[in-house]
Amino acid sequence: MSDPHPKLPADRRDFLLKLGAGAGVAALTAQGAASLRSLVPNVSYDSPTTVKLGPPADFPDGIKFLPDERLFVFRQGNTFHAVSAVCTHLGCTVRAEALANAQTTDVGGGELRLTHRFLCPCHGSEYKGDGTNVSGPAPKPLAWYRLSFAPDDGQLVVDLADEVATDFRLTLG
Amino acid sequence: MSLRAPTRRSEPDAPGVRPQMLWSLRPRSDREAGDAIASNFLFHAFPAKVSKASMAWNYSFWLGTISAALFFLLILSGLPLLFLYVPSVERAYQSVKDIEFVITFGSWIRAVHRIAAHGMVIVVFLHLVRVFLTGAYKNGAGRGQHREWNWVLGVVMLLVTLFLSFTGYLLPWDQLAFWAVTVGTNIASSIPAIGPTVRELLIGGRTIEQATLIRFYVLHVVILPLGLGVLFAYHMWRVRKDGGLARAERDTLLERPAETPVVATKTYTLLGVARGQAPVIRAQALEAPETTVNAVPDLTRRAAIATLGTFAVIGILSVFIASPLEEPANALVTPNPAKAPWYFLWLQEIVTDTTIRIGSFTVNGAFVGGVVLPGLLIGLLTVWPWLDRSPAAATGVWMARTRGRQNTVFLLVVLGILILTFIGMAMRGPYWYLYWPWEAWPDIPARI
Repeated sequence: MSDPHPKLPADRRDFLLKLGAGAGVAALTAQGAASLRSLVPNVSYDSPTTVKLGPPADFPDGIKFLPDERLFVFRQGNTFHAVSAVCTHLGCTVRAEALANAQTTDVGGGELRLTHRFLCPCHGSEYKGDGTNVSGPAPKPLAWYRLSFAPDDGQLVVDLADEVATDFRLTLG
Repeated sequence: MSLRAPTRRSEPDAPGVRPQMLWSLRPRSDREAGDAIASNFLFHAFPAKVSKASMAWNYSFWLGTISAALFFLLILSGLPLLFLYVPSVERAYQSVKDIEFVITFGSWIRAVHRIAAHGMVIVVFLHLVRVFLTGAYKNGAGRGQHREWNWVLGVVMLLVTLFLSFTGYLLPWDQLAFWAVTVGTNIASSIPAIGPTVRELLIGGRTIEQATLIRFYVLHVVILPLGLGVLFAYHMWRVRKDGGLARAERDTLLERPAETPVVATKTYTLLGVARGQAPVIRAQALEAPETTVNAVPDLTRRAAIATLGTFAVIGILSVFIASPLEEPANALVTPNPAKAPWYFLWLQEIVTDTTIRIGSFTVNGAFVGGVVLPGLLIGLLTVWPWLDRSPAAATGVWMARTRGRQNTVFLLVVLGILILTFIGMAMRGPYWYLYWPWEAWPDIPARI
């Protein structure tokens, strides 16, 4: 008597073999993925982006560098603004260098007295006193961050997650 | 033939079982020489016979062996350091300082580890230059040769070596370490779209902290050395598969260029059965007595000289050259100038010079010089064996005339990298300004 389905047992074996191999591969992949996923942090323990910087009286007229926040805070009379000290090229901290002759220019619709320029020690980027990149590899200007006064004690507060345009000024009083 | 069964024995043995437990390093016959290879675990990676030409000091300069010796020395000198170093941001710096100044022989062990690492970068690079200039990634007469894949492996191993160095020099958690990680991971971050995610994965968060240190530590002491060890084993296995060093091809080609013998073959498969599919290397050159010698003692002696010589040179240098340790890592102050270690200075140069501005459109040099250009360079290097159309006669020949143009271009690229490295080392001062090497740097105005 001839078998009407001569290939059936082989097919079934073949199918089960592939099923088994596939299940094995899938299991290994999933376990490998789980192991790798464990390396992706779920919680950030970074320092907060909103930081109290101290009472406005602590900021003299001109420039003050805050190393912890990597931030320059400028005061001109009663107005404040803050410029990041993080180089836009590869993230080194730029240094402020006093200019021999301060110049006053129009920045974002308001007059600013530029007393410094910023230089990066890592790859030689140079920025003007308002953060504009002028030479070196820096692709864009230094960031400006939002300043405000703390509602409870009136301290100056910076929000390092909130970049603002160069017309931003915080006025006291 | 190393695997031929012994023909005469005083007592019968099971196949593959050697009569003696010990072997001779001074064999009195070919058979003893073969036995030394076959019954010694370490020597078993060697062939029984090697071509004289491929052992010449002035062909390979034994750079591959020296690289392997340095890798071995790095593992050896890394073991005591593993017991002494603490991978924590609070204690890493102090523990390295203790290794340097408190622990008996600590500074010597650290110097051995550091100088061997620098040496390995140099020697692995020179090895690559040698292989390129001799066209040693080319296939010669043997069927089933795939030397081009061993070249690819070699390029990967150079990258792993560099990454090992990168992960190693940041472990002391000093200023060099901190700013190298800052710049290095920001280069990754400059890749469009996926960059910031890649950086976050590398440093285990958004700021360089404990998570970063432990990641680089595990890479440095486990994953990368293990990977390099596996790659090294595969690299050696492929050398055997491909019929030895490319230099040996010369003998084959010179002797019987037209002949393709059917019988005189040598197979490296375990069973030696499936001859049709297994890589089969023509072996008449390997068997010719005037071109070959027994691996024991000729090859083993030279390998021992290269290895022990490397150990001696590094061990003695380490007595005299102290390892630097910069100030503790300080996220608040970037050193001025902030220089990468010498072997990354050419990269620091190109990320400095490659920011592209087209109108208002700007591409960060971090991406162009840090990702695109090195990527292209490595990509080109990787596929070069497939682009090289020179004849098989140029295999394993120093500066073959038929490969003159590509050797010139290659050497110009190498020269360019060396020049950029020199500029970075000797001609960059504060704020990365250019100075002549003999020029004094100005006093930097006090920072605010």
